Amino acid sequence: MKTGIFICHCGHNIIHTVDVKKVRDYFSKFPNVTVSSDYPFVCSEPGQDMIRENIEKEGLDRVIIASCTPSLHQELFKDLLKKAALNPFLLRRVGIREHCSWVGDDVEKNTEKAIRLIKAGLYAAAHYVPLEEKRVDVTKSALIIGGGVSGLSAALFLSRMGMHVYLVEREARLGGHVRTLKNIWPIRQDGEAVIGQMEAELQAGENVEIFTSTSIGSFEGSFGNYEATLDTPTGERKITAGGVIVAIGFSPFDARVKPELGYGRDERIMTTVDFEAKADSIELPAHPRVAILHCVGSRDEQIGKPYCSRVCCINALRVGEAIKERYKDAYVESFYMDVRAHPRGGEEFFEDTREKGVLFTRGNIAEIIPGPKGLLVCGEDTLLAEPFEREFDLAVLSIGMSPPVDNQLISSLLKITLDKDKFFLEAHVKLRPFDTAVKGIFIAGTCSGPKDMEEAINHGRASAVKLFGFLNLGYAFVDPFIAMVDVKRCSGCRMCEKACVAKAIKYDDVQRIARVEEAACMGCGLCNSTCPSSAIGLKGYVDTMIDDEIGALVEAI
Amino acid sequence: MKGDSMEDQAGKNPQIIGFACSFCTFKASEMAGSLRMKYPEGVRLIQVPCSSRVDPAFVIKSIFEGADAAFVAGCHPGDCHFIKGNYFTRRKIAALKEMFDAFSMKEKLRLFWVSAAEARRFVEKVTAMYDEIKDAKDAGKTN
Repeated sequence: MKTGIFICHCGHNIIHTVDVKKVRDYFSKFPNVTVSSDYPFVCSEPGQDMIRENIEKEGLDRVIIASCTPSLHQELFKDLLKKAALNPFLLRRVGIREHCSWVGDDVEKNTEKAIRLIKAGLYAAAHYVPLEEKRVDVTKSALIIGGGVSGLSAALFLSRMGMHVYLVEREARLGGHVRTLKNIWPIRQDGEAVIGQMEAELQAGENVEIFTSTSIGSFEGSFGNYEATLDTPTGERKITAGGVIVAIGFSPFDARVKPELGYGRDERIMTTVDFEAKADSIELPAHPRVAILHCVGSRDEQIGKPYCSRVCCINALRVGEAIKERYKDAYVESFYMDVRAHPRGGEEFFEDTREKGVLFTRGNIAEIIPGPKGLLVCGEDTLLAEPFEREFDLAVLSIGMSPPVDNQLISSLLKITLDKDKFFLEAHVKLRPFDTAVKGIFIAGTCSGPKDMEEAINHGRASAVKLFGFLNLGYAFVDPFIAMVDVKRCSGCRMCEKACVAKAIKYDDVQRIARVEEAACMGCGLCNSTCPSSAIGLKGYVDTMIDDEIGALVEAI
Repeated sequence: MKGDSMEDQAGKNPQIIGFACSFCTFKASEMAGSLRMKYPEGVRLIQVPCSSRVDPAFVIKSIFEGADAAFVAGCHPGDCHFIKGNYFTRRKIAALKEMFDAFSMKEKLRLFWVSAAEARRFVEKVTAMYDEIKDAKDAGKTN
């Protein structure tokens, strides 16, 4: 066996806390290690060339790359092995960055840990066998869940690129929250107009099917051929989609969760959403006094919403501006923690609003109670460190974004993960912000965290581009990590058959042994650990391999 | 000769082997790394596709080979990527724990659930486990 070990410095990320030279020299003495070398960036072009040259020149039959975590750059290195005419499943990645250099500070201990981790990889790779990836055809269609602004922009892109699009919306009309907005900053258009334009183009597309008032009944399958049942008003409809984009948006924060603000008990206390809906019909005195509260349902640890909702500051400014435009002499006071008018032009909008006469007071509001002639807003001025009490005719709560109501349902149907705030979790915050951990399922818009309209549209389109890349290829490879039966050992006890969740194991009545249906096997390895006689093994994770890994992690070095 | 040959066995830091499922706990550990969270070097992970892949024999083997403790970690019940895998894990590890208890080494095995988003929880869980094993070891309770 000729193994090549390539250790990455990752700039200074790894070499900073791991003595890479020592690790390299340690492995160079191993009998079955032909090459042991280090390189500043193995993922760079020259780094890849170096590995490829070594494979070709030395005739390596196992490649161990000790660098970032296995899920990063995995495809890149697999392709590299393919180019060097080596089966890509003879590659072992060892994460000495995320699992070693970044989580400890002690160079000596980290170096020892890196040696152990690489050794585990080396021992494991000895058990590797060349595997063939199965090629499956990919249906050129996409299921988009959620017809809000990001779902629409994803649907538009995919339909323009010739993919068949199934757009599913729970409500009777498309457009989500954006449809209800008026005079959207900074484009100064109504949501109705924005959505109308997108909707018209979608409806004209021949390859688009829109299902409104529809929910997802069931969901199964794998990338390339997901099968979903849609519960439409006209009955059930079964569809097959190559990939999925989840764009189920957000739900506005329920201000009743903060009873001290009195929302729902007094008509003069309303949220920005209510203000949007009935701005024209609100009756105010000639010289109205209006309080605007920022950060309601955001940046609030007590109610479990520590995050900034990103849109509410701009919404609060829009409310202030709208009132100032209608009543020139209105007394408008905004109570803020920090004004985070982050989008382009937001800071200028904040200045404009200030010039128009909206007052900004940095303060925490303790409660809003009915007063003799209006609403009493009580709180603390956090700049002066003084309590205050002022009377207003109207209080507008600038509410934040909460996770969508169907997040748990979609999460369990599609098997995608939620983050700590119950929004959908991306595969990697910087490198794969649109992907989920499940191949072919993408997230778009506010269901993955608060976003403004521009960001939601961009997020939707970006997810669509990523999905298009997968779909347009027309085929995909499926991991060959499936179970196999050692016919000689199998005693036919049928325990694996009972355990298998995917129903991929069938009992052979004639030979009295278990058989694996490869297409159905999910590759979890449950059968492997259930089998009392080790007769069934999961390719790529066989018992002997894990046994040797365990040894490597603790044995003397 | 188990563990580091250079050092005295009594003063040695614990070595813990963790079996982490690819979809949740291993992802959380990656995130913990990306966020530069710190946890003891003695904690080392073996990636398995699903926590249900963990044969109780692996845990026993870990202890046999000289690890001070082992843990199995997977997705929260109900969140398993393979639908029901972690329910099987829960049953298997519960049975194994009884066996460990019979040999007075209950503390050497732990099972916990860490989702892909819970990097902090991962670090807290492994650090707490490490500290407890270390304290017991320093007090001469084990080995």
